[in-house]
Amino acid sequence: MTTTAQSFDIQTPARPRSRTLGVVRFQFMNTQTFVWMPVLVLGGVWLITLLIYWIISASGVEGPMYSGGSQAPLWYFAVVGAQAMNRTFYFSQAMSLTRREFYLGSLVAAGISAVGISVVFMFLGLVEQATDGYGINGYFAYLPWVWVGGPLAAGLTYFVLTMLTFILGFWFAIVLKRFGVLILTTALLVIALALLGGAALISLNTAWPQVWTWFADMQSMGLTLWALGACVVFAAGSYLTLRRLTV
Amino acid sequence: MASVIDTRDLTKKYKQSTALDNVNLSIEEDSIYGLLGRNGAGKTTLMSILTAQNFATSGDVEIFGEHPYENSRVLNRMCFVRESQKYPEDSNAQHALASARLFFPRWDQPLAEDLIDDFRLPLKTPIKKLSRGQQSAIGVIIGLASRAEITFFDEPYLGFDAVARQTFYDRLISDYAECPRTIILSSHLIDEVADLIENVIVIDRGRIIMDESTDEARNRAVNIAGDAEQVQRLVAGREVVHRETLGRVTSATVLGRLSETDRAFIAEADLDLTPVSLQQLIVRTTQGADESQHADTDIRSLQS
Repeated sequence: MTTTAQSFDIQTPARPRSRTLGVVRFQFMNTQTFVWMPVLVLGGVWLITLLIYWIISASGVEGPMYSGGSQAPLWYFAVVGAQAMNRTFYFSQAMSLTRREFYLGSLVAAGISAVGISVVFMFLGLVEQATDGYGINGYFAYLPWVWVGGPLAAGLTYFVLTMLTFILGFWFAIVLKRFGVLILTTALLVIALALLGGAALISLNTAWPQVWTWFADMQSMGLTLWALGACVVFAAGSYLTLRRLTV
Repeated sequence: MASVIDTRDLTKKYKQSTALDNVNLSIEEDSIYGLLGRNGAGKTTLMSILTAQNFATSGDVEIFGEHPYENSRVLNRMCFVRESQKYPEDSNAQHALASARLFFPRWDQPLAEDLIDDFRLPLKTPIKKLSRGQQSAIGVIIGLASRAEITFFDEPYLGFDAVARQTFYDRLISDYAECPRTIILSSHLIDEVADLIENVIVIDRGRIIMDESTDEARNRAVNIAGDAEQVQRLVAGREVVHRETLGRVTSATVLGRLSETDRAFIAEADLDLTPVSLQQLIVRTTQGADESQHADTDIRSLQS
């Protein structure tokens, strides 16, 4: 066999002093999940959006064009969360890691990846701002409502939302593994019903105008802070679920 | 010798069944244990609980004097790669081994490289495309090269051909000689591992039915065959774990040592005396435990 004799000078020099930091390197060992897929999703959606803008502007439409395409990588992070959990957790147990080490390390790894993607988002936004939407008035990342507080605030919003979807994906994967598909589906239905109940309550009280005003008053920074709070709560919830997960 | 693993009344109940039933074990350091038993006897459950990958319903576990759950001080010194280990999505053997190198403090990289050659393990092929035997090889390499103070091997040879199995046994023995540690090898190929293991633990339906040194176990029983009447006279009053009769000839496996008088009787009555292999002893005892629940025979369990 020729494939076996390949050099095995693995790219891992010294052993990490903290096992939690080891988990970060462990999550990045296979760069596909945390590096190349997010890059591919963001780059792909960006390209498609620009092509659409170009087609539209070529047909003579003048007004500024905005799209929700830049949120695609956010949703991909829910998948990343589920993947980081799924099989990797079982292997981390074989590596004699505690659940806490695995959890914190995975969260840090997601954080690094989310910072990377938020920086790209900020960069694209700044380019769009400087070039008036690539010269055709088309905006992918520079959405005025998000950018009210400047580039850093926009980057933070993007980062927090990325982490939020990651944590939710992670948590759902844990619930699935621990309680099975029946309980997960039930939980999702209960959440949907609760949201629907909330919406019904608002409608019955004809309170939608107040709700929209609240959102508008919050501005993106306020909503980012709310999302950050949700991140903390969901992160704690998923850790508590993971603590008693068996192999 | 100091014990590294102690369990007290360890019990694991699932909704429908009891996987472990009051397991009391004390496992000594620097020794090779065989954890033997039929499929579903509770071997993997026991190892999972010892490594805090699963939780007991009741009872205590102490590893190096501490509870292993969420305890990296203790987990650090153990290695348990399971029989059908799951690996991260799209990873290959190189990823898996590089990860192991990150986390096992006593990892021996030259040994890992030798083993990769021995098992002809392709490093770049995605793990899910590897054959069963090649996947098992990853687990075996991690188990050996981790040199963890307590290493569990859970049916490590699944999919191995005879050569690969022998390589594993040889490597295990030579590395154990170089770097003594506690090894717990779960297996149902009892004859193959009989010469390897120093102590034997047999688990059946979640209960420990044998826990002693391999030598002691081997001396516990003999097989006597010959004229049915004569055999019956010899075995009367002894614990018979198995008996087969064909016409006038009976073959019986009995527990306990034979006295001089017994041997004289055997010679005189022209009976055949053969040693019982570890495998036979275990098969007979586990069968015995099954049958004694149904039939009224003089078969008894080995539980002492």
